[in-house]
Amino acid sequence: MQPNNSSQAPAWRRTIALGTVLLAAALPGAVEAQKHTPVTDAMLLSASKEPNNWLMAGRDYSGTRFSPLATVTPKNVKRLVPVYSFSLGTLDAQNTTPLVVDGVMYVTASHGKIYALDAKTGKEYWQYSHPLPDNIGKMMCCDVGNRGAAVYGDKVFYATPDAHVIALKRETGEKVWDVTIGDWTKAQTMTVAPLVVKGKVVVGMSGAEYPTRLWIDALDSETGAQVWRRYTIPGPGEPGFDTWGDQDPEASAYGGGSTWITGSYDPDLDILYWSTGNPNPDWDGMGRIGDNLYTNSTLGLNPDDGSIKFHYQYTPWDVWDFDGVNETILADVGGKKVWLHGDRNGFLYKIDRTNGKFIWAKEISKVNWATGFTPEGRPIIAKDKVPTYDHKAMNVCPASEGGKWWNPMSYNPNASIVVIPSREICADILAGKSERVEGKYNLGIAEADWIKGHGQLVGMDPVTGEKKWQVIAPSPFTSGVLTTAGGLAFAGTPEGEFKAFDLKSGEELWSYQTGSGIVGSPISFAIDGKQYIAVPSGWGGWTGWATWGGKGGAPHLKNMRKGGTVYVFALFDR
Amino acid sequence: MYRTVSILALLLIAGPSGAEPLTNPLSPEPAIVAEGKKLYNRTGCLACHGNNARGAVGPDLTDDEWMRAPSDEMVFNTIKNGRSGTAMSGFAGDLTDEQIWTIITWLRDENRKRKEAVK
Repeated sequence: MQPNNSSQAPAWRRTIALGTVLLAAALPGAVEAQKHTPVTDAMLLSASKEPNNWLMAGRDYSGTRFSPLATVTPKNVKRLVPVYSFSLGTLDAQNTTPLVVDGVMYVTASHGKIYALDAKTGKEYWQYSHPLPDNIGKMMCCDVGNRGAAVYGDKVFYATPDAHVIALKRETGEKVWDVTIGDWTKAQTMTVAPLVVKGKVVVGMSGAEYPTRLWIDALDSETGAQVWRRYTIPGPGEPGFDTWGDQDPEASAYGGGSTWITGSYDPDLDILYWSTGNPNPDWDGMGRIGDNLYTNSTLGLNPDDGSIKFHYQYTPWDVWDFDGVNETILADVGGKKVWLHGDRNGFLYKIDRTNGKFIWAKEISKVNWATGFTPEGRPIIAKDKVPTYDHKAMNVCPASEGGKWWNPMSYNPNASIVVIPSREICADILAGKSERVEGKYNLGIAEADWIKGHGQLVGMDPVTGEKKWQVIAPSPFTSGVLTTAGGLAFAGTPEGEFKAFDLKSGEELWSYQTGSGIVGSPISFAIDGKQYIAVPSGWGGWTGWATWGGKGGAPHLKNMRKGGTVYVFALFDR
Repeated sequence: MYRTVSILALLLIAGPSGAEPLTNPLSPEPAIVAEGKKLYNRTGCLACHGNNARGAVGPDLTDDEWMRAPSDEMVFNTIKNGRSGTAMSGFAGDLTDEQIWTIITWLRDENRKRKEAVK
């Protein structure tokens, strides 16, 4: 399959091709063309204050997923109706967060596709399809998804499953550059939404369910040339190398440490925050006894050279596949500059973002693998919850997907609340002897029985960590969360329901059936003064919690229909 | 016994194409069934199809409700060659034909157990 650019050139582009400025100015399409103003550093830096666009995956450098738009409110949300739907043309996990720049939506799809469309009408401007190797699926633990794009200057950037990072012209979809940064045959794959910081396209890697050593790359936005690479696992002689034990001399060289969730950036401190995932093998820790730095951590990085300023590790010596890769939301709370991080290990963390020091961790869901924290923020492990080859750890809470799964939460500074997609599910786990072969799964698990539980959406106070409200659902909330200045939280379910909740009480106010499970993230944007809400729908990804077997998490989901559609909503106009 | 069956399997696989439909040459002996489960886990099939192959984001492989009737040949070809345009890769380079039949033997045994359980 070859890249398929520009299925239908929009009117304004054909007009410009004529080179007749006068004619262009006379046509409606030309007005749209003028909207393709370059995305500047200033625009990215002030993204949180600009209400109409959605310029990066987390909406702003703090990753809040908070929209200042307030037209849609708890009082009128029942009038929310679909304006259009846009087919993504593929099935499997639609993990994306769409972007909107001056009325143009850029949205990635599973299987290496990206589209530009009129965000008001759904009319396609162009599409680009990256040809994938036939066997890429088996090199991706958790589906052939993609989490979104980034925009800067006149380009849009996205990563592909086979570890290409591609820059396209925003206006036409034409390829500007295409660089390969990993070897997909060794499971060095990509699903991340890039983040542009100071002219560099920063991206992370997937693949820690296979034996490999992963990294964060910064690429020159003009050329794709590598500016720096930060391996997340130290090499020999580097600080932290001695945290991999001496049982297996090659443990760290194949130790995983993926980076597939987009980071955040504090321009005042000039620190890039990027989180890292689980060590490999996931559940078999016998060959890597130690903290396994810098897995399951958030790294505070110098964005100019990728050097590590500090780190905080959520789960040292992870033998539960808790991962730690989830997002960091930068917030100024109670007079402190902090980051908030909801982890798969079940805790919401508040960390001082000037130095990486622990402030507190509070339970999002039931936690029993740790009994507390030292004053320095190191978890105190419950020994009977550690799975080994001959000890099946029973009723470990949470199961490996949380707590909070990867889907991003939202921080609403107006309401001082963080809304977390979550679940209450535990598991029985027996570790298994791992077998390291490059390009092959290496999970180190003998038995895993998920125990039936339920889903929940949790509103927590970022000052105290107390729960403000909790919505219980039959299955986990698997979408990202959007909160708005209008006083609403939006989230989606595996059953395909896209829902709005009152931010004050958690009361469900509105729901729409999208036809397939929601595993992407909603956004809000405005065009001509009208507020829109968009959400991708399309079931996929890893769902051990739901159906992996044993006692089952939510087995009613195992035949959930696949799909691939972006729905866009607005208030009904009489 | 196992070696004899293996040779028979290879003969069948190497036989003239387009003639008789492929059928599983292995018998569901406990050792083969157990090896099939082990291969299923080691190959990573469980990531999509679940711990006991009863379906997750990928379909249930132990019922009778595949896209079409799950003939041996269809199951064999799907594992070996994948399904284009989906997340299902081909495992021809990872598994020998005999190993694929071994996995199928375990899946068939799971199917049998399910049917017996509802009787």
